[in-house]
Amino acid sequence: MGSIALHGVTQRFENGQEALRDVSLTFEEGSMAFLTGHSGAGKSTFLKLLLRLQVPTQGQIVVNGVNICQLPRNRVPRYRQHLGAVFQDHHLLADRTVIENVAVPLLVTSMRKRDIATRARAALSMVGLLSMERLYPSHLSAGEQQRVGIARAVVNRPNLILADEPTGNLDPGLSRDVMGLFVNFRRIGATVIVASHDHELIESMGVRVIELDQGRVVRDEAPAA
Amino acid sequence: MRNERGSRDPWPPVQRPRFAWIRDHWRVGRDCFAIACRRLWSSLLVWLLVGISLALPTALYILQRNLAAVASQWDGRPSFTVYLQTGTDVGVARVLAARLGAETEVERAWVITPEQALEDFGEGLAIADALEVLGENPLPASVRATVADGVGEAELQALVDGLRNAEQVDEVAMERAWLERMGAISALVGRVGWILAGIFGLGAALVTASSVRLVIESRLEELRVQKLVGGTNAFVRRPFLYFGLFYGVGGGVVAAMLVSGLLIALEAPLERLFSSYHERLAIHGMGAPLVGVLLGVGGLLGVCGALIASGRRLRGVELA
Repeated sequence: MGSIALHGVTQRFENGQEALRDVSLTFEEGSMAFLTGHSGAGKSTFLKLLLRLQVPTQGQIVVNGVNICQLPRNRVPRYRQHLGAVFQDHHLLADRTVIENVAVPLLVTSMRKRDIATRARAALSMVGLLSMERLYPSHLSAGEQQRVGIARAVVNRPNLILADEPTGNLDPGLSRDVMGLFVNFRRIGATVIVASHDHELIESMGVRVIELDQGRVVRDEAPAA
Repeated sequence: MRNERGSRDPWPPVQRPRFAWIRDHWRVGRDCFAIACRRLWSSLLVWLLVGISLALPTALYILQRNLAAVASQWDGRPSFTVYLQTGTDVGVARVLAARLGAETEVERAWVITPEQALEDFGEGLAIADALEVLGENPLPASVRATVADGVGEAELQALVDGLRNAEQVDEVAMERAWLERMGAISALVGRVGWILAGIFGLGAALVTASSVRLVIESRLEELRVQKLVGGTNAFVRRPFLYFGLFYGVGGGVVAAMLVSGLLIALEAPLERLFSSYHERLAIHGMGAPLVGVLLGVGGLLGVCGALIASGRRLRGVELA
């Protein structure tokens, strides 16, 4: 349950600027794709539309057979409970420990305390930070913070994982490790879309690459079989 | 909602354990209480502001209730007292009492001797030492009378005017006039109390609203993350409603303490005042039901303030 189809999606802002222009793409369930392009190409807008943080001015975005542009406001939270999102600047809560940060998506679903702890520890284990569960984000390096953000994104076992420049603050070695995590998530059935401008890293991962330029898709290449 | 493939719900609701909402409310309430206690000074300030806002209308309500109680103790029956000139023999008073008792306008008339008057006076005010200095009782004999049912204002006034002109009569005091004035004051106090309750209640709600708004602003990042991971508006708003509740109930506690302190401070002078009118005053204080109402109203105003603050602000909170 993670298929996505965009049909003629255009996003125009109030100042008339178009962040996306007539974008049509499909993503199969369990697939992974990199979204690349220069700064301002429309990558972040693309992800915000999928997160339903914005609604496109034209076109349809169909996720699991439902046009999320027409999703009633009260249904958006439930849609988001099945997503995982990672951002360049983590958005970790400074006054919460690592495990408390990871547990936030589970608290929203009223899960039992012991189940929350089990799931959060499993997610931290997946990103190799179990030993740091009691630390606060300020005690972690940038790479560790990013991995906490990733653990938070996958703790609710989402169908769709969206990441916006997840390696933006990381050195090449750490970037490769983080990207490796996303590749693993695809293997457990989630559809993964990662926005990044790190061409070298993207090309080396051997997955589908979609390049945007001024809001248009200028390249959509699947890896050679 | 069916999707394009005709299947039912691509994002089924997460299965919640039974009574999960009770546990969620308990957790959020406990966390908010802990935060309010950690930020003790700012919480105290809000409690004081809300408490003062609630205390004034509450004090007026209690005042009005006491005035109404005093008025009702009178049974609604007017009476008057005829004070004779100082030194007049008690026998004159007895004759006058007998004469008044025979009048159709008077239900009952009885004599209050200077000694009885002194005894009553002494109970109300601690003047024993002053009387010892005077050496003699300065109080006159008097006749007190209650008016019969159905006596009109004009008939009573004619009777009192007649008594004022009688020999050896110094003064005739009609308690009804005082009572009527007190009734009017009671009504006025009641009306002012309700108006102030409205104004100060709104003030309490706005104080809570601005305090909750500050809490919201300090936790914006957390709210954005909660919304991003699927927190509903109700989930995101819940802690702030608890903050409003705690601020309001805390304000109610402060108001109860302030009014109780006020009553303790005023009890003795009020008793002296009422005893000077030959009335025994049993002050109606706060009482458990009124404290309960005060806490309830405080809590309700707090929650209303929190709803005002969170309603609009939280709707637009999303990650940029």
